[in-house]
Amino acid sequence: MPALAGQPAEAITGAMLAYRAGQGSPTVMDRIARGFTEEEIRAIAAWVSASR
Amino acid sequence: MRRRALLGAALLAAPALAQAAPKVVVIGGGFGGATAARALHHLGVSVTLVEREATYLSCPFSNAVIAGLREMEAQRFGYEGLRREGIAVIHREARTVEGRQVVLADGATLPFDRLVMAPGISLRPDAIPGLDTEAMPHAWRAGPQTLLLRRQLEAMEDGGVVVLSAPANPYRCPPGPYERASLIAHYLKTQKPRSKLILLDEKDAFSKQKLFEEAWAALYPGLLEWVPLSAGGKVVEVDAAEQLVRTEFGEHRAAVASIIPPQAAGRIAQAAGLTDRSGWCPVDPVSFESRQRPGIHLIGDAIIAGAMPKSAFAANAQARVCAEAVAALLRGEAPAPPKLINTCYSLVEPGYGISIAGVYQPANGLLADVPGAGGTSALGAPAAVRAAEAGYAEDWFRTITADAFG
Repeated sequence: MPALAGQPAEAITGAMLAYRAGQGSPTVMDRIARGFTEEEIRAIAAWVSASR
Repeated sequence: MRRRALLGAALLAAPALAQAAPKVVVIGGGFGGATAARALHHLGVSVTLVEREATYLSCPFSNAVIAGLREMEAQRFGYEGLRREGIAVIHREARTVEGRQVVLADGATLPFDRLVMAPGISLRPDAIPGLDTEAMPHAWRAGPQTLLLRRQLEAMEDGGVVVLSAPANPYRCPPGPYERASLIAHYLKTQKPRSKLILLDEKDAFSKQKLFEEAWAALYPGLLEWVPLSAGGKVVEVDAAEQLVRTEFGEHRAAVASIIPPQAAGRIAQAAGLTDRSGWCPVDPVSFESRQRPGIHLIGDAIIAGAMPKSAFAANAQARVCAEAVAALLRGEAPAPPKLINTCYSLVEPGYGISIAGVYQPANGLLADVPGAGGTSALGAPAAVRAAEAGYAEDWFRTITADAFG
């Protein structure tokens, strides 16, 4: 599994929003993305992107 | 006048100084405590971690050690990573908490402004009459018990009956007994195929049940038998000398038995008056502060967390939230309401993984499921998905151990 840390925030946000909408073929991230608002997903993506 | 003004300034300066260097002590260096110590340190808080053992042995993946699929040394983690970052780590046993001081076993005390406790579980083998944990290891804490159970399985002759038990809720790692049954069944199927496994359960339903049952029907038909509470699954007594396990409905003679006793919060939580009548610790779901002793925060398996299970993932998530809350409270600010995630992977055989996930938020004084989120892997998924999840389980293990221990 490729590491998320340091990936662009826009890419992480886009993937999470797609999983939340039932797109793509995730194994677990759709179940998790459905627990967050778009604003929260953007905040998570910014944090993950900034971490080492 | 001048003297009085100076005195006033000095008095005013005292609380400011106290705020400048507040002391936080963390008790317990497992997934929760180690993560909390690192997170607090990264937030600029002065932290001391108290942990009895020099190294930590991870429970996640220890079922694979029992089944001979993994070696114990892969489970071992040290505290050099924390020390390298500048976190003080003290390897002594903490006995209790008096006022705003941790009392160590040798009588020494550690003062704190706020305390974070991650004491894990205590096991209650006395609750099952006759239980001798050397004869019938629980292996519910990674360590000598894990290796004892593995040796007993290795020494067993082909054709023996392995009896496992699963306790009533709540207990550490809800899917753990079923993963254990699966991986031991895999060992029997490949090494001792005339043997049988009976899983005695004090419940009629369990975590990821449909996924486990789907896998058992495909992989271990006639080998693994699950006995629910309503069919006599509750262990009421054992005879260690005769290797007999008695249930409400009858008895089973075991070649090897692993009996998981009921559990409660770790002993120091009881000693410090942090548990309620259930034996577990009630906490505020925003700050993880004890409902019984202000200034003491609790995380991990020891707490009453509502919908959140007792898992390493949950302890790690709670530790991060708790660290932010402690830092906010030390600044005189109110902690923000959190959202937390949990995911638990289980292996049913090598290369076959299944998962359950949840998202949680404070509601009615507990942590509740965020509606619409969470759930289990799909039933009937292709082998490639099961293989991917088995791989993700290993990725998760590498990630969480790095997050906790550096």
